[in-house]
Amino acid sequence: MKRPLALVTGGAGGIGRGICARLAADGATVVLADLDPAATEDAARELGVHPLVLDVADPVSRRAAIARCDALGGVDVLVNCAGVLRDARIRMLDPAAFRRLTEINLLGPLALTRLAAAGMAQRGRGSVVNLASRAWLGTFGSTAYSTAKGGLVGATRSLALELGRAGITVNAIAPGFVATPMTDGLPPEVRRRSIDAIPVGRAGEPEDVAGAVAYLATATYVTGQVLVVCGGRSIGDPYAA
Amino acid sequence: MTAATDTVGVLGDGALVPAVRAALDGVAVGVPAAIVVPAVPQPAPLAALTDERLATDVGDALDAVLAHVQHALDRLHGGGRLVFVLPHAPLMAATGCAAASAVTNGVLSMARTLAIELARDAVTVNVIALDAADPAVPALTGVLAGLLGPGGEAVTGQETYLTAGTDLGRLRP
Repeated sequence: MKRPLALVTGGAGGIGRGICARLAADGATVVLADLDPAATEDAARELGVHPLVLDVADPVSRRAAIARCDALGGVDVLVNCAGVLRDARIRMLDPAAFRRLTEINLLGPLALTRLAAAGMAQRGRGSVVNLASRAWLGTFGSTAYSTAKGGLVGATRSLALELGRAGITVNAIAPGFVATPMTDGLPPEVRRRSIDAIPVGRAGEPEDVAGAVAYLATATYVTGQVLVVCGGRSIGDPYAA
Repeated sequence: MTAATDTVGVLGDGALVPAVRAALDGVAVGVPAAIVVPAVPQPAPLAALTDERLATDVGDALDAVLAHVQHALDRLHGGGRLVFVLPHAPLMAATGCAAASAVTNGVLSMARTLAIELARDAVTVNVIALDAADPAVPALTGVLAGLLGPGGEAVTGQETYLTAGTDLGRLRP
């Protein structure tokens, strides 16, 4: 039986790399896709998976990525993990920056889903896992990011209804604070306050998110759901009055 | 207090604009307020959502909402009320509505973030969902009266579904 092929966008980043490692360990053929050629090559070599340079905001690059995966047997699992977080408060938010973030965090994943779903439907099976964010529930100073991630959640739910009969599940994961090179760069006080507010008392690790992806990639009776992986932070701050 | 139709800016090209205007006829407002009624894409299957269509139906629609909000906030310096009115079906999820769901849920999350961010500026932000095919105008009048009238400053970040319970038993986004 053919090993399932998983295409993971943003695969060279902190969370993406963890997802690639987990899916490969679970027996999938993994295509690690990312924007930076050197980082993509290095991460893929380290994990023993296929490298693929992909700009999720570029239609030509997206089509080439799916064609490459088709040559390997077709995408069985699409993990839309690529994303950027550059934001500002609403009054200072530049419309061009808002649009750029929308293209990367929302339009790119939807377009890739359309391309990958065509092959999945032909084969009668497949799963799409969209990396949303706890910011979907609202977060200070993050208008563009939360809008895009909320949009991704909404599309996830409708696509679950539309693609279920074709054997395709569509789910989302909403990570909270996860220890990655990006969050490692936060000012120490900000980082400490963020972690203090997490009920389980620690930052998430990429492996926490990867475990959720691995589950949703194989759970054929779960679709249209948002799995919030945040150490309980979406319930509240244990020390809040 | 003045009539809402004189003091409330209704922004956006959404199909629910007439319902909002009709509802405002019965509302008295004492603070600056804006109601954003986004245009939402027509239903289309995923296979029909070409790159160009995603860019226009989703990207341009969200750009327009941002422009409306930033314009509205120019009027709301010093405090006020911001309300988004959205069609219920794509907000909840519907087959063939991925683009519309992306827009409506993007706006929902934007509203949640703005409620957090603008609270310190005394601007409340709330969302109302309506059945676009049969909008409950009297109910909308009642909810808008609460949000835009005295005491409305205590209500922010809330989502009200004026759909007579048709979505009970479903998970909301």
